Amino acid sequence: MEFLLENILNFVGFLVGLAIGLMSYIGFRNTGSPTLFRLTIAFVSISLGFFVIWSGYMVEDFLIKSGSIERWIQTVGIVIQTVGYFFIAFSHSIKSFFPKSNYFRSVGILPFFLVSTVQLEHIFRSISFILLVYGAIETILSYRDNKNKGAISVSLGLALLALGEFLGWYSFVFPESVLYTISMIIKIAGLIALFIPVSKVPLKKIKFDDDLDKI
Amino acid sequence: MGEYRTQMKIIGDILSTTRDDLQDEDGATVTYLIRKANISHSRISRLLKTLVSQGLLEQADSQGSNRYKISQSGREFLQAYNSFTKFADNFGLNI
Repeated sequence: MEFLLENILNFVGFLVGLAIGLMSYIGFRNTGSPTLFRLTIAFVSISLGFFVIWSGYMVEDFLIKSGSIERWIQTVGIVIQTVGYFFIAFSHSIKSFFPKSNYFRSVGILPFFLVSTVQLEHIFRSISFILLVYGAIETILSYRDNKNKGAISVSLGLALLALGEFLGWYSFVFPESVLYTISMIIKIAGLIALFIPVSKVPLKKIKFDDDLDKI
Repeated sequence: MGEYRTQMKIIGDILSTTRDDLQDEDGATVTYLIRKANISHSRISRLLKTLVSQGLLEQADSQGSNRYKISQSGREFLQAYNSFTKFADNFGLNI
């Protein structure tokens, strides 16, 4: 069951990331916007990260057949995804995430110590979680300004990915529980929520135009 | 406090004005564009020069002053700009 869900999750992640990455790239080619360039890097990285893990599972399933994926492949995929989440967070200017009170600042640092385990994968999962939470908060705050309902869906998608990432990390504490399965289902739901508003953007009649690159 | 506008947003405003909000058929004057786009003369001069050189605006001399009209490429650019503004809005971002 877990194996199947992992395959579905990573394949959906690969497709959704690729679709949004391509849209961002077309937007970048048409407008030259640096924001769309950063989104391109973000979603191509996320797509590539999911693809690496999905390939790992496929190779394991059809060739190696050892019963578990090579740990380093999972880690490489998660690191690449984290780069993508970083660029989503980086696209927002920092305006809301740093609390003013010293007490809350100290609490804000706490997750770094809580997750400082020896395994690289745990560290990158925790970084992904923080970046996703930041991206979700900034996106929902933008709804106040633009009243775009799509922002709610994207924010929900990022929040679900963050929750899935957190539960995925937390499942190491309870390895025999259903937490990991739940985390994968939540992440799939997050990816779908991320894609819904983007799929509604009208992109008809838009074509590449090399003359516009310099603007 | 006024809303911060990116360079891309200002270009979008200029192109929108020359497409949807012209004074007359000859095109918009620099003064008119300054008022509509709400930017300084030196900045709009640089932008207009770039937009004309990129083929997004057409420049014409009329009644002793330069006038600007949107070109076909400019219309296509504006359409792409509007679509991808909505796309970026979904992520809470400005293009």
